[in-house]
Formats: sequence, structure tokens, C-alpha cells
Amino acid sequence: MRKLLMIFIIFCLYSTPALAKLNVVTTLPWIGSIAYSIGGDKIKVTVLVKANQDPHSIEAKPSMILAARKADIIMYNGLDLEIGYLPLLIESSRNPKIQPGRPGNLDCSNFVEVIEKNAASDRSMGDVHPLGNPHYHISPKNMGRVAKGIAKTLSGIDPENAQIFEKNLALFNEKLKKKQNEWASKNIRGKKFVSYHKYFEYLASEYNFRIIGYVEQKPGIPPSAAYIEALIDTMKKTKPDSILTIEYYCNNGIDLLTKRTGVKSIIVPHEVGSTSNINDWFTLMDAVFKSLE
Amino acid sequence: MRYIVILLFFICLFVFPAKSFGNDIESRVKAMEETLKAQQKTIEEQQKIINELKEQIKTVRTEEIPKIEEKVAAPKEQAGATGLFGGSALTNPYISLVVNTYAYGSDVKESELKTRGIPGYTFLGNEDKKKGFNLESAELFLFAPVDPFFNAYATIPVKEDGAELEEAYFVTTCLPQGFQVKGGKFKSAFGRINGQHPHAWDFADSPLIYRAFIGDEGLIEKGAQFTYLPSLPFYTILGAEILQGDNKYLFGADASPGLHAYTAFAKSSFDVSDYSTFLFGLSMVTGKTRTDTIISENSQFRGNSTLYGAELTYKWKPSKKKSFILQSEYFQRRQSGDLYDTTLATINRLTRQQDGMYLQGLYQWERWRFGARYDVLDLFNNDFVLAGSRTDFGRRPWRATGSVEFNPSEFSRIRLQYNYDKSARDIFNPASPSANNEVFLQFIFGIGAHAAHPF
Repeated sequence: MRKLLMIFIIFCLYSTPALAKLNVVTTLPWIGSIAYSIGGDKIKVTVLVKANQDPHSIEAKPSMILAARKADIIMYNGLDLEIGYLPLLIESSRNPKIQPGRPGNLDCSNFVEVIEKNAASDRSMGDVHPLGNPHYHISPKNMGRVAKGIAKTLSGIDPENAQIFEKNLALFNEKLKKKQNEWASKNIRGKKFVSYHKYFEYLASEYNFRIIGYVEQKPGIPPSAAYIEALIDTMKKTKPDSILTIEYYCNNGIDLLTKRTGVKSIIVPHEVGSTSNINDWFTLMDAVFKSLE
Repeated sequence: MRYIVILLFFICLFVFPAKSFGNDIESRVKAMEETLKAQQKTIEEQQKIINELKEQIKTVRTEEIPKIEEKVAAPKEQAGATGLFGGSALTNPYISLVVNTYAYGSDVKESELKTRGIPGYTFLGNEDKKKGFNLESAELFLFAPVDPFFNAYATIPVKEDGAELEEAYFVTTCLPQGFQVKGGKFKSAFGRINGQHPHAWDFADSPLIYRAFIGDEGLIEKGAQFTYLPSLPFYTILGAEILQGDNKYLFGADASPGLHAYTAFAKSSFDVSDYSTFLFGLSMVTGKTRTDTIISENSQFRGNSTLYGAELTYKWKPSKKKSFILQSEYFQRRQSGDLYDTTLATINRLTRQQDGMYLQGLYQWERWRFGARYDVLDLFNNDFVLAGSRTDFGRRPWRATGSVEFNPSEFSRIRLQYNYDKSARDIFNPASPSANNEVFLQFIFGIGAHAAHPF
């Protein structure tokens, strides 16, 4: 018994890593990508949710609780996107560093200009997010702010490496500026799209294209047959360029829409890692623009 | 002659200028046409720009306004403002209400349902369930952080005959090294389903092992829980609880003055792949017992009880569209003490060692979910030894269940469930039909704060 206890204690000691790298846990892959751009080799990034999983429906898996237990900082999307699992995850992690209100608890939406805040909404409107549209990561403008916020937070927790984080932020901004010029020349201005979910609203306002309708009847609720018929009528009248969807949504109705209206559908890459060649946020945005063009 | 000259002069005056004038008009008209064309062009261009602007205003109008409001309203770059527990939870805790209602049908007489126990385990039948419409409860949840050191929770199911305080507890959030303390009244971490609220169950009713050993509602006790989550390469949680021991099946409030029940548990989990996870655990709960739920109201058991539990869950969830859960729990209870018969005024030694398990599978496809469950008692042990002689209660109690669910959204659930229930055994209830064919049509809907998705 004593031997067993000794082994257990040694095991515990062994598995507690030396305080070398800041242990950053992020909910979504894109947050991991931005954090890595800023933190570089001074941080270790663990991403909890896979690219092709719907962040609305994740459960607090024990392996995620364990990752949060070991975190120095947890970074999340916020705006209630992770409401189903993150509060539970953070409490169950038994990790005081990442509790709400601590520096190790970073809500990335704090740095974002949030759109679609519905002060008066109820769930008869579907699974709406009263705090605003949470899909702000497909937005170059907001990503600059988020990167800045992440750099500030990392510097606060690890002041020794603050200069490195500042330098990395400058590099990030430089690349962002260059890329923004490149993206601005893309031919998507004035285009009209039908979208499955309210996923591209930030980009639409930033690059002047329009989302004229949604395949989803209400956020989180698949369309009924009658709704699809009405949408077909609208699409015949307004003639959108294409139907936008993302990988993990049920493709309920999209094939039918394409067949009846002749409008092609595009599966827009939506997350870092959603295809094998999208390995960071910049390549993600390149792919997004390419598919919208 | 003079006249002719004047005439000529006039003619000249008229003709030449007229000619040059004519030329002038043509060129002028041409010039005017050109300017007109140019103007038309600019007008067209301007119209184009106006149209474009109109379009832009249309798109901007819908988004710019909330943007401005938001700029004013939300303090930026301040962590936690729109954070984990939402926006303005300072004055109000998060509140949700889950209404759980069902229609129940059975081919057993209503009067028999109440007395239809599990012979050898408990004589108590289903106390609440009635044929026809039932309101299980409207369950009120409250939760909020108390301060930077504690979170607080309360569960108040309101039933037709009043409200009860099912749970009210705090959880620490500030202890270092993976330690946590929970205190108050709470669902014990013993077993797997025990920690779930009835509306979150995978079936309309609880497994037979719960009914037989700790009651449908499970172990909900006043006490304190200590857990430790070590920083290991795989998830392992170790915990212990000291409990008052009020559970009327296993312990009983009067069994001993003061607290008289203790649990210990260890649970572990690992991911087989990105989308599939195993969770397994061992639990035990032990304590002093004084209960009159075994044979009849007139016989009271006093002694000691220990319940062992083993659980295994496998979950595969590749996407929101589909998932599969396979789950099983095994319980074994060891009990020894004296059985007092209050009418005959006799005391006899009673020892019981009994066990059972369930195995259930649930397959979800988009908004539909299909479930199957098998329950059995007396699996390996069926010792009921009263005054030195073993009582044989007959065939193993068992039950088979099938269910279909439709979940219109995350916040509502409609469930149809069928049970073929042979838990009452034949030998002790010869009058009643050998099986209870039960049907549930259940509606569950939740309003208010978004519920957590535990694993």
C-alpha cells in the first residue's frame, strides 16, 4: 500500500511540468491560432473543440476538464457560444487561475465590436444569442483587436516575455494589413448570398456583400418544408449568387434549394483545421475569400 | 441705283450673316447635344452612385445602429463583463425552470401499482405515478457565483403538493492543487445516474437498481463532499463524502444520532479518439440503517448497509447530427442487522447480499433519439437470510425498455417509452398479471438560463 502511494506521488510530481511555457487552453481552433501567433514558443496551446464540431452542442468531456485543470489561462469565444459547457468546465477544473474575473479567464469577445445585440429576444426566435452574434472570427477588423487583447493578457500573466509578445503582435499586424489590402481587392463587393446560419454577418458588413436570407428557419432550428418553399420564391426573385453553408450544419434543404433555384451552394471553410491546408487564421481567411469570390 | 445698292447691302446683310448664323446654329446645337449627352452621362453616373449609396445604407442601417448602441453600452477590454455567466448577473442569479410532465398507461390496476414492489428488495411500489396525466415537477434551478471563492446552486422542484428543497449547495472555486469542497444538500457522486436530474435522464424512469437499493430519486443527502483532480496524463477524480444518511431505503434519518453515512469514489476517463470517450468508476457508500421499506410498514430493520457501485460509459459523438451512448452500472448491497416485527414483537437476524445492473444504449440521429435498456436484479447475488434461513423470492426481477425521443430544440423533448416490467416477480403476487406493460408519453421543456451539458 505504501509502495503504491509512493508511486502515485512520484507520478503526480512527474506529471506536473516545470514552469517553462505558459499553458494556454482555448475552446476553438481559431483562438488557438491567434494565441500561437502572439505567444509563439513561449506558450503551449491546447485546443478543446475540433474544427468540425458545432461549438453550440459540445459537452464538458472529462479530458477537457483535465486540460482546463492544467491551464494557466483559458481563452474562449464568449457571447454565450460556449454557455453549454464552459461554466461547468471551469468549475470542474478546480483551477483557481481560470475562474471568472481572474486574469487567466479571457473572453475574446471583450475586444470585439459586437453586432446583432438583441436586447429583447426570447427563444421563440430559436437559439438566439442575446449578447450578439458570436461568430466574429471571420472578420479581419475584429481579429486585429483580439490579437491585441491576447498580447496584453499574455504580457500581464508572463511579463518577462512581454517584449516578445509585443514583437509578435507587431508582426501579426503587419501581415494583417498586407492581407487586408489583398482581401479588399477581391470581387465580392455587392454580391448577394443565402446563408445556412448567421455565420458571415461580420464579414458582410466589412466587405459590403449581402446576406439576403437564411436556410435555417430560426437559429439552431432546421427549416420546415413550408419555410423552404417560401425561401425558394424569394431566391427566384432576388437571384442570389450562391448559398453559403459550413461543414457541421445539417444540410437539410440545401440540395433541394440548389435543385429548384439553380443557385449553387458553397461549403465555406469556417475554422482553422476544417481542411488540412488551413493551418492558421490567415490561411482560413484566404480560403474564405477564395470560396466567396 | 442708290436703292439697288441699299437693297444689295441689305441682302448682303441678311444673307451672309444669315448664312454664317445658320452655321453657328448647327454647331451650337451640336455643342448643346454634346453637353447634354455629357450631362446625361454625369446624371446617370450620379444615379448609379446614389443607388449604390442607397444599397449601402440599407445594409449599414441594420448593423450600424446596434453597433453604436453597443459602443455606448459595453465596457470594452474588461474581462468578465459579457463573460461566463453572461451580462448582468450581479443582482439576479441565473434561473431556469424545467417542466417535466407525462401521460402514463399500464395494464395493471391502479390500486396494484402502489403495492407492486420488488419482493426481497422493497415492498414499496410506485407512489407518485398515476394512470393518465401526471405532473412530475416544475424544477426551478438557481445558480450564481457567490464571490470569488464560491459558486452556489439550488434546485427546487415544485410539485402539485408543494415545493421541496432538493438541492442547495456551494462549491469552492479557489482551492489550489485540484481540490474542491461541496457542501449543503446535494446529489451524491455515487454512481452515474445518481448525479443527474430526472429531466436529464435518458429514460422517463430510473433503472431498477436505483429503485431497489436507493429509491427512484437516488442519494440526495445533506453533507460535505471532498474531491481531488490530480494533474495526471489522464482524467482521474478521487472523492469522499460525509453524509447525514437520510435515504429511506439504504439508511434512514433515525438510524443513528448525527451523520451516519460515508461514500468514497474514484472515476477515470480517457478519449479513445477525438469523438469517443470512456468513463468508468467505482463507488461505495456505507452507513447505519433503520428502515421500514423492506417487507412491510410493520417491520423495521436496524443494522449496517454498504452499497458498492461500478459504472461504465462509452460515448461516441462525431458531430451534432449523430451520437451513440452505451452505459452500464452494477450495484451490490451488503446489509446485516435485526428485523423487528412491531405487530408480532419479534426480532430476527437479517442479512442481505443482493445485486443488479442495467445496460442501456441510446442512438441519436439529428433531432431523433432511440433508446433501449435492460434491467436485472439478483444478477450474481440473491441472499435474503432471515433468522438463518434463506428466502427464495422466485425468478429474477427484470425489465426491458424501449424509447423514441424527438427533440424539437435543445430546450424541449418529447419522449415515448415502453417498459415490459417483470420486477414484481410472479411467485409473491400470483393475483397480479405477470408483467406490467407500461407506456409513458413525456414532455420536458426548459426555460430561462441555458443548461449545462455535462458529459
